[in-house]
Amino acid sequence: MKEKSSLSVLLNGIIKENPVLVLILGTCPTLATTTTVDGAFGMGIAALVVLVCSNVFISLLRKVIPETMRIPCYIVIIAGFVTMVKMMIQAFLPSLYEALGVYLDLITVNCIILGRAEMFANKNAVVASALDGVGMGLGFTLSLTVMSTIREVFGAASFAGIAIPFMQDYKIEFLTKAPGGLLVYGLLIALIYVVTQGKAPLKKSFSCEGCPNAEFCNSQNCDMKGA
Amino acid sequence: MKKNIKNLVVFVCICTVITLLLATTNFITAPMIEKNQNALANKALLEVMPNGKGFENVDITKLTLPSTVTEAYRETDGQGYVIKLLTSGYGSDMVIMCGVDSKGVVTGAVCLSSNETLGKEKTYGENFTDKDAAGVDGVDTITGATKTTEAYKNAVKDALNAAIILGGGSVDIRSEEEILFDNLNTALPEGEKKFQKLFLTEELDNIDAVYAAENQMGYVIVQGEQFIGVKADGTVAEGVENGTIFTDAVAKIKASSLQDINLAGYPDLEATIISAKKTASGNYVIEAKGAGYGIKGGDEYHPASNEYIIVRVAITPDYKIIDCITVSQAETKGLGDECANESFYGQFVGKTEQNYTEIDAISGATLTTDGYKQAIERAFAAVKVLKGGA
Repeated sequence: MKEKSSLSVLLNGIIKENPVLVLILGTCPTLATTTTVDGAFGMGIAALVVLVCSNVFISLLRKVIPETMRIPCYIVIIAGFVTMVKMMIQAFLPSLYEALGVYLDLITVNCIILGRAEMFANKNAVVASALDGVGMGLGFTLSLTVMSTIREVFGAASFAGIAIPFMQDYKIEFLTKAPGGLLVYGLLIALIYVVTQGKAPLKKSFSCEGCPNAEFCNSQNCDMKGA
Repeated sequence: MKKNIKNLVVFVCICTVITLLLATTNFITAPMIEKNQNALANKALLEVMPNGKGFENVDITKLTLPSTVTEAYRETDGQGYVIKLLTSGYGSDMVIMCGVDSKGVVTGAVCLSSNETLGKEKTYGENFTDKDAAGVDGVDTITGATKTTEAYKNAVKDALNAAIILGGGSVDIRSEEEILFDNLNTALPEGEKKFQKLFLTEELDNIDAVYAAENQMGYVIVQGEQFIGVKADGTVAEGVENGTIFTDAVAKIKASSLQDINLAGYPDLEATIISAKKTASGNYVIEAKGAGYGIKGGDEYHPASNEYIIVRVAITPDYKIIDCITVSQAETKGLGDECANESFYGQFVGKTEQNYTEIDAISGATLTTDGYKQAIERAFAAVKVLKGGA
């Protein structure tokens, strides 16, 4: 694998391989928590912390974790860090804990975290894995914050819970509902495609290479082949 | 095999490290989480007792409290109690939280959840702040939301009574019905707590009501606050003054007999009355129908039932109402159906043809009240026709 600079690893997750808008990972919490900026930002930071901790931990243990047992090991590590973050939020930020509800527990099965563990942390050194975690976490937080800003400002005429007076009569309440979330999500994906001139969603850079079955199938019967 | 054991050891080691990290995090955060949870629970309690320092749950399972009380909390500084109550308003349950200080004064009342249609319960609790038991009685119900506000008021009264009991005092928490049946049973223990109110067809001087024991062991006569038991053999308990008044009354009731009047000969009455009877003493018992909300009303929220209000009235030949009762009605639940309560139809007893309309209308159910009056008017008209004086 071609070595990447620290900066490129860090920036990779923000636009080029943005987990939400390019890799289309973590769709469930993205749609669920982006109704308010507070909730979305909190979710992003919680995921960032878990992502960095689990990436570092998995990278540290990448030579110890047995190949055949790696998924259960990742799940134990990720679930452990999610529970720790949950306890911290419950203790220090109870209102955020109330706002995030069940989605906090669901970070355990957030595919961004498991995806980065599988695609990056188990193949790279600790510092690079930490930077990847920070980059992906920032990308996730940024996407959620942008999406929630659009949904809250135009859907509920408020920003982070503070009402915007002149917009009260022009609410598009549809945006606060699930279909509205999907619409904004789709528009943002289109926007990032335009901004990167279609170069961002390079599936081949993470398809077979990142696939857990890559070494067994040798791309012979893979649907993703050549994608 | 060796590889599998190695894998297992690595996995167990990872689990152990994660468990240790979790234990450490829990050790740091557990006290703060507990503090946060207590603060959240106390938030609702503080709303009704703003000066409260802390609250502890009181075990109410061994106490005899009003049936509406579901939970009770003691303020840790002895400032009073916060009582949680569950009551029924206009067709839905209301959860009410009420704070009562150590002097028996309401510190606050809020409705935590309800499905009431008008939403009056959301702010009604403010009226009770700083009121004692007498003050609570003086709080007016809201016209148009009588059921809701009355239930709310009764819940606050229950909270005041519960606070007295929790503080070690005693208070009569029996309902009006329970008090009545206890009085009846005291007057005539032979009745074994099963009594039925009699529909009177004869005028009984100075007597408010007569109850018959269902096991036919005698009668209880109510005269003001007094409950006098008259046994089946016609004797009254020793020490009752003017006992003959009561024995005579019972004898009059027993002697009364009703004779059906054939309405076939009165075609004009067929549309307005159901049946007519006459006593040996010349009184009439008429069952008349009145068009209330069920016939004249109806909207998308409260559809009309298409049923008349049927009223039974006993009337003397000189047009005085001896007794009155609602036989059947299908008026709006929570509003017009109030006409089936004795508190409403009891108002007609003793009234005459001239003043029977001078009764308190059912709040928010004008059509029902008018329909009821129509039934009474028809009964009077029927007596006139039957007497041949129409």
